[in-house]
Amino acid sequence: MRTIAALAAVVAAGCAPHQQRAGLQAVSLPDLSRMVPSAQTQIRDSYKALTQKIATRSTTVVELADAYGEFGKLLMAADQRDAAKPCFLNAQTLAPADFRWPYYLGHLHRKNGDLSNAVAAFERALQLKPADVATLVWLGNLHLDEGHPAQASPRFERALSLQPSSRSALFGLGRVALAEQQYTRAIENLEAVLRQDPQAAAVHYPLAMAYRAIGDTKQAEVHLRLREDRQVLPADPLIVELETLLESPQTYESRGIQALDNKDWPEAEALFRKGLELAPDHAALRHRLGTALYMKGDVRGAEDQFEHVVRTSPGYHLAQYSLGVLLQTQGRHAEAIEHLSAALKTKANYTDARLRLANSLRHVSRAADAVLHYDQVLVEAPDNTEARFNRAIAFVQLHRYRDARNSLADAMQTHPDESLFAHGLARLLASAPDDTVRDGARAIALVQMLLKKDQRTLDLGETFAMALAESGRFDEAASVQRDLLRGAEQSALKAVVPRLAHNLAKYEHREPCRTPWTTDELP
Amino acid sequence: MPKRGDWFVDRALETGLDFVHFNGASGEFFYPEILPPGVALLDYDNDGDLDVYVVQGQMLGAGKSLTDALLPPPARSLPLRGRLFRNDLQVRDDGSRVLHFTDVTAQSGIDARQYGLGAATGDIDNDGCVDLLLTNFGTNQLFHNNCNGTFTDISRQSGIEDKPGVAVAAAFLDYDRDGWLDLYVGYNVNYTLENGTQCPNVAGVRDYCPPRTYGGQPDRLYRNVGHGKFVDVSAAALAGGTFGPTLGVSTADFNGDGWIDIYVANDGVENLLWINQRNGTFKETALLSGAAVNELGKPEASMGVDAADFDNDGDEDLFFTNLTGEGHDLLVNDGAGRFEDVSARSGIGPASLPYTGFGAAWFDFDNDGLLDILTVNGKVALEGRANGKFPYDQRKQLFRNLGDGRFEDVTGKAGKAFALSEVGRGAAFGDIDNDGDTDVVVANNSGPVRLLVNDVGNRSHWLGLRLVGERRDMLGATVAIVRRTGPTLRRRARADGSYASANDPRVLAGLGRSTEKPTLRVRWPDGRTEEWDNVAIDQYITLTKGGGQKRP
Repeated sequence: MRTIAALAAVVAAGCAPHQQRAGLQAVSLPDLSRMVPSAQTQIRDSYKALTQKIATRSTTVVELADAYGEFGKLLMAADQRDAAKPCFLNAQTLAPADFRWPYYLGHLHRKNGDLSNAVAAFERALQLKPADVATLVWLGNLHLDEGHPAQASPRFERALSLQPSSRSALFGLGRVALAEQQYTRAIENLEAVLRQDPQAAAVHYPLAMAYRAIGDTKQAEVHLRLREDRQVLPADPLIVELETLLESPQTYESRGIQALDNKDWPEAEALFRKGLELAPDHAALRHRLGTALYMKGDVRGAEDQFEHVVRTSPGYHLAQYSLGVLLQTQGRHAEAIEHLSAALKTKANYTDARLRLANSLRHVSRAADAVLHYDQVLVEAPDNTEARFNRAIAFVQLHRYRDARNSLADAMQTHPDESLFAHGLARLLASAPDDTVRDGARAIALVQMLLKKDQRTLDLGETFAMALAESGRFDEAASVQRDLLRGAEQSALKAVVPRLAHNLAKYEHREPCRTPWTTDELP
Repeated sequence: MPKRGDWFVDRALETGLDFVHFNGASGEFFYPEILPPGVALLDYDNDGDLDVYVVQGQMLGAGKSLTDALLPPPARSLPLRGRLFRNDLQVRDDGSRVLHFTDVTAQSGIDARQYGLGAATGDIDNDGCVDLLLTNFGTNQLFHNNCNGTFTDISRQSGIEDKPGVAVAAAFLDYDRDGWLDLYVGYNVNYTLENGTQCPNVAGVRDYCPPRTYGGQPDRLYRNVGHGKFVDVSAAALAGGTFGPTLGVSTADFNGDGWIDIYVANDGVENLLWINQRNGTFKETALLSGAAVNELGKPEASMGVDAADFDNDGDEDLFFTNLTGEGHDLLVNDGAGRFEDVSARSGIGPASLPYTGFGAAWFDFDNDGLLDILTVNGKVALEGRANGKFPYDQRKQLFRNLGDGRFEDVTGKAGKAFALSEVGRGAAFGDIDNDGDTDVVVANNSGPVRLLVNDVGNRSHWLGLRLVGERRDMLGATVAIVRRTGPTLRRRARADGSYASANDPRVLAGLGRSTEKPTLRVRWPDGRTEEWDNVAIDQYITLTKGGGQKRP
C-alpha cells in the first residue's frame, strides 16, 4: 500500500503543470489498511484514475475537476472527511461553476460541525444554483443551528416559494417561529407539515413545545406521545448518490437498514444480498437478510438465514435470538428455548432474550424456571411490565395464587397507568381456585375502575362476569356473559365462543368460574 | 478583563501531580476504554485544602498483558491503581502560594485496582471526614475516611455493592431531608468483555460501538438509613422511569419547591428529570419539562452535566455536553422546572458543534459574577480521521458568560493549556490553591492529568463559603448573596455534576468590582433558612447551620 502511495506521489509530482497552474492543494491516499478489501480497491482505483488524469497533458480542466471531485466523493462516502476536503477544494478551484463541489463541501463542513465554513460553501452553491431547494433548506437549517432564525427565515420562505409542497421548508419555518418564541405561528406551520404528511413524526416534539409554551399541556402531551426520532430533510439526490457510492458490506448493510426503516422489504433484501456477495461470512448482514425476509413474509427463508448464521457463527447472539423468536411465534418452544439459551450464553445480560426464554419455559410447563428468569429480567429492567405480568402468570401456572395476587397488587402500585395489572388482579380475585385469594367485591371495584377508563374489551367483560359470579350475582354475570357471547358471534370471534359458552353455562347453574385463564388465553 | 499572561496555566507536573492514565486498549475496542477517567477534589485530611484522587484503568481482555497495550503506561504509573495525591499547599506571609502534591495512595489504604471510571465524594456518616465512592467497570467501591489519613473499603457492609456493571456517574444527596447523604449511582451500558459485537464504519474500519449496541443498565438510588448504611430503594423511589446509559448526574432543586431533584444525562436516549415527590419517591418528568431531548426531539449523547443559576434569575439552569455535530445544550429554567433549549441562541451550541464534550461545569472563572463554562473534550469515534493509535483527541473549550444570555468562546485567550489536543474526560472544579478563584483538574484518557491553575479570577473580588451542618459539607444547600449594588447571586454547594468527577463542595462566588459586604441567605437541604449580614469578602468563611439568623 505504501508503495502505491509513494508511486502516486511521484506521479502527482510529475504532473506539476496542473498543480502549479491552478494552485491546487496536495491530495494523497489516506491509510486504507484497516478498510475492507472492496473499499480499498475502489479507493485505490479512483486515486489511480485521478493521478492518471493529472499526469495526462491532454486532460481538460473540467475533466481534472471531475476526477478530484469523484475521488473526494468516494473518500467522503468512506468517512474520510479530512482526506476528502482538499479534493473538493481542488475541484471547486478548477471548476468554479460546478454546483456540486461547494455543495459537497458544505455537507463536509456541516458534518464536522464547522458551521461558518458550511454556510459559506452552501452560499457559493446557491450562487450557482439559486433555485435549489435542498441548498436553501440546508442553509436555513444551518442558520438555525447558528442561533440566527432571522437569517434562516428567508431561506425557508424562498424554498417554499419554489416548491410549495416542501415539508422541510415548512418545518424550518415552524422551527424559526419556535426559536423566535412566536408560538402560535410555530403551531400553524408545524400543524401544516402534519397535514401534508401525517407520518412526519419529527414535527411532534417541537409542536409539543409550542403547545406547552401557550399553556396547552394536554395538546403538548398528545404530541409528545407521538414523537419519533426522525428528521424532516429535503430531497437530496447528490447525497443519495454519495451514500450509494462505496462498495462495502457496511454500506449495503446501512442502506439495507434504511430500507427496513422505510418498510421496503424487497429493497432491503436486495441490498443485504449484495453485501453478502462481498462478504459471504458477514453474520450481521445475513442476520439482517433473515429479518428482511421475515418482514416480507418469507418465514421459511428467514429461518434458513438465521440457521445459517447460528451454524457458522454460534456466538452471534442476535441471530440466536431472532431464530428463537421465530420458533417461538410458531409455537416451537423447545427449539426456541435452545436458541434463546444460546443467545444468553453469549450475552448474559441480554434482557429481551431472557424474557422470551422465560415465556417459552412457561409454555413447556417449566414455570418455576421461568420465574427465575423473570426475576433476573426485573433486576436488569425493573420497569419491564411484560416480565412483571408474565411472572404473575407463571405463579398462576404454579398454583401460587397468593404470590400472583401480591405480585399484581405491587405492580399496580408501581405502574398505576398500566391497566393490565389491575385487570390481571381483578381476574385473579374473581376466579382463583385458592379461597384465600378471591375477593369478588374488590374484583368488581377494579373492573369498574377500568371501565371508567374506557377499557371496554371482551376480556374485561369476561372478568366482570367472573367477578359478579364470585359475588353471588349469577343472574347479572350470566347477562353480561350472554352479551359477550352475542358480540363474539357477531364479530366472528369463533375461537372464544366455546369458552364464553362454557362459563355462561356455569353462571346459569349458579356456579362461579375457577379458571382465571385458560391455556389458550395465556400470554 | 486585564491582560496579564495566560488565564490558566497547567502546573500538574511541576507540583507533583504526576499521573498518566492507562485505558487498557489493545485494539479490541472494548467499550469501557473510551469512558474514563474521572477525578475527585476532596479535602480528605481536613487541612483546608483540596486533595486529588484520580481513577486508573487496567489491561482489558482475557489473557492480555501490558505488552499487548496500544499505549503502554509509563513505568512510574505502575502498579496500576487509582491514586490519591495530598495537597501540601503552603501560603507564605506575603500571600504567595507554593503548591505541591504528594502521592499518598500507599498509606491511604485506598486499594483501587478495578477498572476505574469515576468518583464521587460525600461524608456518609456525618463524622466530619469526606468519604470516597469509586465507580468502576466491575463493582463499585466505597471508601470510608477514618479521619486519620486512611480509608477503609466498606463497599460490602455499607450495602452499595452491586453486581458488576459499568457505573460512571454518581452523586451524594439528602433527598429525604433526614440529615444523611443518600446516593444515586448512574449506570452506563449492559456490557461484558465477552460481548464481541464489532462496529466498523462504512469502509469497514473498526471503531468503538455506540451505547445503543449494548443498551442501558438501570441506575440505583440508595437511601442512607444512618451512619453510612445504605438500602437500595430504586424500585420504589424511581418507579416508572426508562433508564438509559447514564454518563452524568446533577442534583438540584429544579422546580423550586425546596426539595432536591435529580437530573440524569443519558447517552443516546432521553435524559431523565426525577422530581422529588417529598415522600421518598421521585416522578420522572423530563419530556414535558423540555429536558429530555434536543429541540428537534432527538436524544443526544449527554455526557457531562451541571446545574446552576447562570442567568441570576433564581433557578437552576442546565448545561450538558454532547457528541460532535450535536452541540452542547443549554436549557433555561422558568423557575418551575420547565426548560427552554437556548443552546443555539446562547452561542454555546454552534461553537461546540465540532467537539465531543465530557467534563464540564458552571464556574465563574473571572469572578465577574457571571457563571461561565469550561468543557474538556475528546471524541468517541474516528469521525473521518484515520491515523493514530488512539485518535480521539480534541481541545478544551472555555465559554465566557456575557450576561445577556449569550456566551463567547474565549478558548483562544485562555492560555497554552487550551491549545493542547487530548482525549479529555473528567474535570473537577475547585480552588486548589485557596486564592479565591476556581482551578480545574482535567483527567485525560491515555494521557497525563492537567492542573489548570486559574491566574485571572482573583483579580476581581470574591467570596468563598463553606456551608456546614451535621459536621459535614451540606451538599445541596443554596446561598443567596444579596447585594444592593448588584444582582443577587444564587449558588449551591455541590460536589456532583461534570463527568465522572467530584468538585470542591465550597461555594466560590465572583463579585466583580463590588466591595460591598453582602447579606447571605442560606437555605439548608432540610428547608430551613438562615441569614448572615454584612459578611466580609475576599476570603473563605464557614457558615455553620444554626449559626445565622433564622428566616421563614
